[in-house]
Amino acid sequence: MREDSDVFLMGEDIAEMGGSMGVTQGLLDEFGPERVRNTPISEAGIVGAGIGAAMQGMRPVVEIMYEDFLTLSAEQIVNQAAKHRYMSGGQLKVPLTIRTQGGAGWSPGAQHAQQLEAWFVHIPGLKVVFPSTPTDVRGLLWTAIHDDNPVLVFEHRLLYPVKEEVPDELEPIPFGQARTVREGEDVTVIATGPMVHRSVEAAVEAEKNGVSVEIVDPRSLQPLDEEALVASVKKTNRCVVTHEAVTRMGFGAEVASVIQYQAFDWLDAPIERVGAKFAPLAFAPVMEQFIVPNSEDVLAAIYRTVGRDGN
Amino acid sequence: MATEIKLPRLGQGMESGTIVKWLKSEGESVEKGEPLYELDTDKVTQEVEADASGVLLKIAIQEGEVPVGQTVAVIGEQGEDVVLEATASGPEEEQQTEGSRGPARDDERERGRQASAEATPAPSGNGAGTRTDGRIKASPLARRIARERGIDLAQLRGTGPEGRIVAEDVERAEAAPAPTPTAAAAPMGDPEVVPLTSVRKTIARRLTEAWTVPVFQLTIDVEMGRAVALREQLVERAGDGAKPTLSDVLTKISASALMKHRTVNAHFGEEGITRFPSANVGIAVAAPQGLVVPVIQRAEVLTIQEIANVRSELVGRARDNKLQRGDLDGGTFTISNLGMFGVAQFIAVLNPPQAAILAVGSVEERPVARGGEIVARPMMTLTLTCDHRTVDGADGARFLEDVKAFLEEPGLAL
Repeated sequence: MREDSDVFLMGEDIAEMGGSMGVTQGLLDEFGPERVRNTPISEAGIVGAGIGAAMQGMRPVVEIMYEDFLTLSAEQIVNQAAKHRYMSGGQLKVPLTIRTQGGAGWSPGAQHAQQLEAWFVHIPGLKVVFPSTPTDVRGLLWTAIHDDNPVLVFEHRLLYPVKEEVPDELEPIPFGQARTVREGEDVTVIATGPMVHRSVEAAVEAEKNGVSVEIVDPRSLQPLDEEALVASVKKTNRCVVTHEAVTRMGFGAEVASVIQYQAFDWLDAPIERVGAKFAPLAFAPVMEQFIVPNSEDVLAAIYRTVGRDGN
Repeated sequence: MATEIKLPRLGQGMESGTIVKWLKSEGESVEKGEPLYELDTDKVTQEVEADASGVLLKIAIQEGEVPVGQTVAVIGEQGEDVVLEATASGPEEEQQTEGSRGPARDDERERGRQASAEATPAPSGNGAGTRTDGRIKASPLARRIARERGIDLAQLRGTGPEGRIVAEDVERAEAAPAPTPTAAAAPMGDPEVVPLTSVRKTIARRLTEAWTVPVFQLTIDVEMGRAVALREQLVERAGDGAKPTLSDVLTKISASALMKHRTVNAHFGEEGITRFPSANVGIAVAAPQGLVVPVIQRAEVLTIQEIANVRSELVGRARDNKLQRGDLDGGTFTISNLGMFGVAQFIAVLNPPQAAILAVGSVEERPVARGGEIVARPMMTLTLTCDHRTVDGADGARFLEDVKAFLEEPGLAL
């Protein structure tokens, strides 16, 4: 925002309150109410206004408080933002960034905890990123704002407290570049968002049992770094795909398909998938935990790929 | 109405069994509950009872390895027609109706079918799990490696989930090529190949597994005068019971020491170390079919005479190949005694997941220093092999120290 006066923010309670998750705290003071704007509770309106401003040459960053509420702005995102550049023969551009957050693990209930990233990966014309660390958030957000196309940035509620040393210099992270979180020999775990951290826990555990686990975080789901994922699986010959979203029709289905097609002759075990059970997320913490995948689920899948039962 | 008799699953993890012999012949009448055939599983040989009454109309599998659930015989009424589904030869009609497929897969199916047809009558069991439906189950990677190196998958045995051939199996096959017949080069007579029995395979698998465990050994010398005297007194009083042996004394002493040192009376598992409230002591027995380890349950509450009675019964059953699966389950510690062969000391291989195994040497007079003099004393050497994941050196040493103290003064074990 300091570099480019075309960048401005819109969203519910993002100004004085600093956003319901505190992400935009302090920005009102520095950039003023013209560039940090509270909106009415109208998700379609927020995204629609963002699209209009973007087509007029601005670089808006809009916030949808919970990704569950993306459903209300789906018309604007799917039919407008994703389509204008194509339908105008390239005369219009929509350099819009849509930030949103979601995820289970703190009992927000069935309407405030979903992981819907896969819906938007399905739409040509959109880019989708899902960072899992502070460094990745910064680098990917920078790239999203500078991209001339609409980009959805998915954040996970439980990852806000993650702390790490970030470089002083901002390093933009290009889309379509996966990150190898951990190197290993026996099985590749392809994980997004919170599952990256849960997979690391599982990998540490598996290591104790002599199973060496590589973890790859695609970071951007569209475009997808197929090359890196396939290369890793060709090295380890086994693959687990995991995300917190429901397994059925989840992003992992696409990844599994890419892997089986491009690395078929390198696979030594069926690709395992780990995701949420096919159920609305419960309020009750114990039921929520039951539905959402954890590190033990990843560990069990790792052991299945190497033909062990974990004992 | 005829009943198909299928191979039962007689215990957890049982995937197949080898039919040794039939105790009834075709045409004979059978009562439900009567022993029908003898079955060799990876743990024991046992008689399987008929689960229906009638006439044994047909024995489908005379002998050899059979997967769980396969029909082995048909019991019905006299004169009834027996229609057995083709179980092992491959579902050929089904394949014709499935429509066309690529020539490569047809070839492979054909190979798989031939292989399964060859494998069926032979009781070798080699690879049986991989081609129950005429198709060879192998991972794409295993197939590629086999293709590149010209290895025939039909000759391999899969170790992956559900018997799938995985890359490791192919690589192993290449590393150890099938022995080629070289009869001409054997001037002293042909070497004899003894096919692996289920028990032998289990021994091989479990002891190979045990080799991956980080172990250490502790050795201690024990003066056996009092233990030998105790045993002699017990023999005099045995009456109709089995004669107690030094092994029985050791079982009791070990059980008492295990109750004091629970860290040693344990199993290692991924979820944690399980410590047991009872000492279920396994005793290694050289049975005709190979090493078996029947278990004396709750040895800590039994008298030495009771231990002798149980041990005598178990060893008898082991020698007659009549052990039940229950006789072998639940061991928390194992004793292996080779003293009767004059072995002075040896190192036993761990019996996982148990934390420790005690190797017992012979009792023999040895010169020892006592009060500045060299004297002859009946001595015995014990070697404890411990799983270091479960037991630390000092734990093992303290346990062994108590075993020694109890043997030298059996009253301490009370």
